[in-house]
Amino acid sequence: MSIFEYNGSALIAMVGKNCFAIASDRRLGVQLQTVATDFQRIYKIHDKLLIGLSGLATDAQTLYQRLVFRHKLYQLREERDMRPETFASLVSAILYEKRFGPYFCQPVIAGLSDEDKPFICTMDSIGAKELAKDFVVAGTASESLYGACEAMFKPDMEPEELFETVSQALLSSVDRDCLSGWGGHVYVVTPTEVKERILKGRMD
Amino acid sequence: MTKQQANWSPYDNNGGSCVAIAGADYCVIAADTRMSTGYSILTREYSKICKLADKSVMASSGFQADVKALQKLLAARHLIYQHQHNKQMSCPAMAQLLSNTLYYKRFFPYYSFNVLGGLDNEGKGCVFTYDAVGSYERVGYSSQGSGSTLIMPFLDNQLKSPSPLLLPAQDAVTPLSEAEAVDLVKTVFASATERDIYTGDKLEIVILNADGIRREYMELRKD
Amino acid sequence: MEKMTLQDSNQPNNSPLLNSEADSQRTLYPYVTGTSVIALKYKDGILMAADMGGSYGSTLRYKCVERIKPIGKHSLLGASGELSDFQELLRYLDELILYDNMWDDGNSLGPKEVHNYLTRVMYNRRNKFNPLWNSLVLGGVKNGHKYLGMVSMIGVNFEDNHVATGFGNHLARPILRDEWHENLSFEDGVKLLEKCMRVLLYRDRSAVNKLQIAKITEEGFTISQPYSLKTFWGFSAFQNPTVGAEGSW
Repeated sequence: MSIFEYNGSALIAMVGKNCFAIASDRRLGVQLQTVATDFQRIYKIHDKLLIGLSGLATDAQTLYQRLVFRHKLYQLREERDMRPETFASLVSAILYEKRFGPYFCQPVIAGLSDEDKPFICTMDSIGAKELAKDFVVAGTASESLYGACEAMFKPDMEPEELFETVSQALLSSVDRDCLSGWGGHVYVVTPTEVKERILKGRMD
Repeated sequence: MTKQQANWSPYDNNGGSCVAIAGADYCVIAADTRMSTGYSILTREYSKICKLADKSVMASSGFQADVKALQKLLAARHLIYQHQHNKQMSCPAMAQLLSNTLYYKRFFPYYSFNVLGGLDNEGKGCVFTYDAVGSYERVGYSSQGSGSTLIMPFLDNQLKSPSPLLLPAQDAVTPLSEAEAVDLVKTVFASATERDIYTGDKLEIVILNADGIRREYMELRKD
Repeated sequence: MEKMTLQDSNQPNNSPLLNSEADSQRTLYPYVTGTSVIALKYKDGILMAADMGGSYGSTLRYKCVERIKPIGKHSLLGASGELSDFQELLRYLDELILYDNMWDDGNSLGPKEVHNYLTRVMYNRRNKFNPLWNSLVLGGVKNGHKYLGMVSMIGVNFEDNHVATGFGNHLARPILRDEWHENLSFEDGVKLLEKCMRVLLYRDRSAVNKLQIAKITEEGFTISQPYSLKTFWGFSAFQNPTVGAEGSW
């Protein structure tokens, strides 16, 4: 079995009208055994920038610590927060540093850029960026998520509708994946606030 | 000099997706018409849907040569059945026959992924879904083939069938009307075609109801 | 590959697995092979083209192999892949046609029947793990009905308006998809096939510039005498392939 599937995960980010949503499942497993049901895969970098790290959980946490460190240095030097585009390039560069012994993570980055334009992006474990206009997905449930998002996505959704869509896509996808599930974490980010919600889901 | 060796496999994956949805008095069976091998498209108009009896229709993806052999075998078995019983085989009977036929080749399987749709003896829609070696289940809807992982979660979302673990067993047929079911099938194939390279070109939909059998087609992306 | 050779020559070769090639009774790999066959439907019937090369690995061993043959009165068969297997298949088909003819009932096997027979032979041989190493193209006309189909080594089969085997599927089919239409005249059909064969000649290493084009209609078949295509190798990219890629070979 692939090391990317050791812990199991499902990640999704979707763009709405002047807002975005990023969501993940809550399961942490060791192969087929569930060890935690309140696991956090999405991390806040600053008020308008979040990153989800799918794949091997230990690498995700290590990578997150390095990213926080680099972002703090940036804040000290520049006296401002990083733009999502810049941050994506940073993640990409950090991943590529380990080209021949990579972090087994596929990140999903979502943030509000200049003039609160939503930005979403994903990359593979060695930092090849993919910028999308509509949605990005990652994790062991990625195929299911692609199918669900492709059918459910509409352009220019308002925050509430976006929340509903992302939640429906996430829940129906993780139910068809053995390695992810146990509810979800959904963050809906608008220029004025970050709304975090926890979803209940099937517990099998 | 070492001889450059070409190798061969008795199996190939020719791709394609199949979906079937059962309603109260109808059944919709659909599949795309693309046939591929590796990254090449062999043809854009190959029907994966096969009418086995008046009220049972099978859609199959996987290895085309095995699928064809399976279809021929079932057709022959159905002909014998007609001679012996002077009637068409019912869909649940055909479902059992298909299962047995697949299991007969348990140790050199037919590489075929089937959904069988039809109407049962009460005229209710029924869908049976299989794996390559014959384990099967009666369900309210199902998808098989290369795009099934993309299609299945969306069908779950839209059709929410009652859990098969419930006691007493609940009816699995979908609450949709026939027209809504056909629309849903069109939507899921349009979505699957976006992300699955083995699904595309054209969608073939077969609708079974009390009036008989009807076919519809819809163009899909060709890239 | 180099390592394998060294090992083989230094160690005593007792393993039945390693030695199985000597007493094998089936085709483990092809010896003499033919490259692409392409065919299309046109207004009055079917046109088929194939070159006449027979490759022994990368050696061009035979230069006058007929890879398109008539089967019965209504069909043409084109083959790529192992040529000895093709010839065995022709013996099967000769027998099939002969026994069908001996009924003397005025009926004869059409392209559809022959194609179906081929699919069963190919699939049956793969089930015995002893495949006929060919991709086959079968075209024909009977009772005003045009038929064009293909069968692969393991029995995968289909019909289409135009087909091509091997490299042809990559290089010729896109051209055919672009330019083919229902009412292609004989002249335009031949032109289209020649265009495809020329592309294959330029880009398929095992293709040779000696080909046959065959035609079959309700009236019967004709297979052309071998001929060559006019080629032009003076393109600047052919003459100096490394221009603009300094530092490479």
